[in-house]
Amino acid sequence: MGSELGSLVATMLEAEPWVGALEGIDVDPPRRRLRKAVFHRIEAHQRDRVVDVVTRFNPHVLIHIAVWEPDARANTAHAITFTQEAATSFLGAAAECPALEHIVLRSAASVYGRARGSLTRPDESAPINPTSEFGRMAAQLEATANDVGKRVGVTIGALRLAPVLGPHVPSPLGRLLRLPVVPFSALADPPFAVVRDSDAARALVAAARVGLAQPVNVVAPGAITAWQAIVRGRRLPLPLFGPEWAIARRLSHFLGAPVPDHVVELMHYGRLVDGGRSQELLGLVPASSTPEVIDRLYEWPSVIHVRPEIPAPWQQGVAS
Amino acid sequence: MSASGADVISIDATTPRRSPLGQVVRVAARPVAVVWPRPTVDQWGRDARLIEALSPLAHLRWDVSVGGEQHLPRGGALIIVNTRRFALTPISTALALGEALDRPVRFVGRPDTVPFGPFLRRVGGLLAQPDEIAGALRNGELVVLGAQGSANPRYAGRVDHSLIAAAVRENIAVHVAATLSTMVSRQARVEVSAALRSRKKRRGPLAEVELAEHAQRRLQDLLDEMGGSRTGVPGLGWLGEG
Repeated sequence: MGSELGSLVATMLEAEPWVGALEGIDVDPPRRRLRKAVFHRIEAHQRDRVVDVVTRFNPHVLIHIAVWEPDARANTAHAITFTQEAATSFLGAAAECPALEHIVLRSAASVYGRARGSLTRPDESAPINPTSEFGRMAAQLEATANDVGKRVGVTIGALRLAPVLGPHVPSPLGRLLRLPVVPFSALADPPFAVVRDSDAARALVAAARVGLAQPVNVVAPGAITAWQAIVRGRRLPLPLFGPEWAIARRLSHFLGAPVPDHVVELMHYGRLVDGGRSQELLGLVPASSTPEVIDRLYEWPSVIHVRPEIPAPWQQGVAS
Repeated sequence: MSASGADVISIDATTPRRSPLGQVVRVAARPVAVVWPRPTVDQWGRDARLIEALSPLAHLRWDVSVGGEQHLPRGGALIIVNTRRFALTPISTALALGEALDRPVRFVGRPDTVPFGPFLRRVGGLLAQPDEIAGALRNGELVVLGAQGSANPRYAGRVDHSLIAAAVRENIAVHVAATLSTMVSRQARVEVSAALRSRKKRRGPLAEVELAEHAQRRLQDLLDEMGGSRTGVPGLGWLGEG
């Protein structure tokens, strides 16, 4: 509930007539004003407290969004640790709840991987073969949830989201594309698709409402290549051919936009998924197309630096 | 100080200060954005604008006349074509059909290696995998699949039943299209047949095996009906046979 996506989902759930009580756990407080939801600020590794709160609430539905995309809010090593800890605590605690009927899970389209010869637009029946750390994290999470589901007899609905972009959603892809000079693969320039944060949140709420019991891809219609995105955003394209990517990644990290391996994979091989079943399973189609989401990405205002009227003590020496 | 007494920092958000580097980059990138302003790849990576740009080159090489396109449905269909060895028959057929029908037509048989794979994906290529073909057919796409290549352009090669299985599984119409072209002439012909109908209802894998054999026979019949192509050059008529 503390992330942008979690807060958005909580806001939407509050408006749903079928939701009686709503509680959420996160390490950060909610980013939106919630009127009905109860929030608990607990760290994922504090398992006893998580179990205590969750079992006392005894939910019918658990929406598990605690997935840390590498280099979004934490580096890859921390992201793996946090995601594993959250999965163990929250899914484990939910399994102790007798009323639990259904778990909705945030997964990622990276679970399909991008090995040589893999499908251009995999649908939900395609084999899971992750080739990036984020993909392996999401695949592991799905496996853990499915295991829990089998043991306690609840249904699991995994939403395999395309890269989520939104004004406040930390995204390594979004940061990379907003750099003044953006590297792209000159030899491939493959197409990829993304999804808007509000569409992802709507899909999570719909999955909870319909009791989704299988994986489903959630992706905005349409596609775009990195070159086309760069041109739309009026950034300067920097064509790369292969070995220079290592330097570009370091430079980008230095500029504040670290590029994790799943984003490098996207820039080299693309990331398209078949989202045709979301209409059938969730009853919704993402409202914003991929080019529209990319346009919005470039419309967000930049950070405005405001100089303080009275400089900080450590700045006063410099100012004088 | 605001009316409520709270300290308010006024930020002029309407005219934010832009960094000089950002301004320079935007000015430098403006001509590129004007030349290629809209994204044109579709959900499979086919780039309509690139195909439009390449079509004069394709017309330099081929002058294709298309017949029987009215047999193709509005939804998805698998079109099997005969292919001459070392020729780009599925690509030229897909481009010609796309132009005749004014809708995207994809072809099977792109590699997944740089730089040919990404380029062929941009002109509508799909991987030669049953699941890939099934996905496209399910989404209502027209997909051109080449039979096994042969040295004689008037001979229909074997049709891969594992690839045709995608259409059987998705319950999609299968058509054959006879193509006639030569290495030396621009003239080419594509003739699309009506949808194939299996004589026997099969529940198991024999459905695709028999359909593949039926497609090969029907393709051969069409090629025989079309006759050979002529180069129009006295004494070099044999070149028209491939």
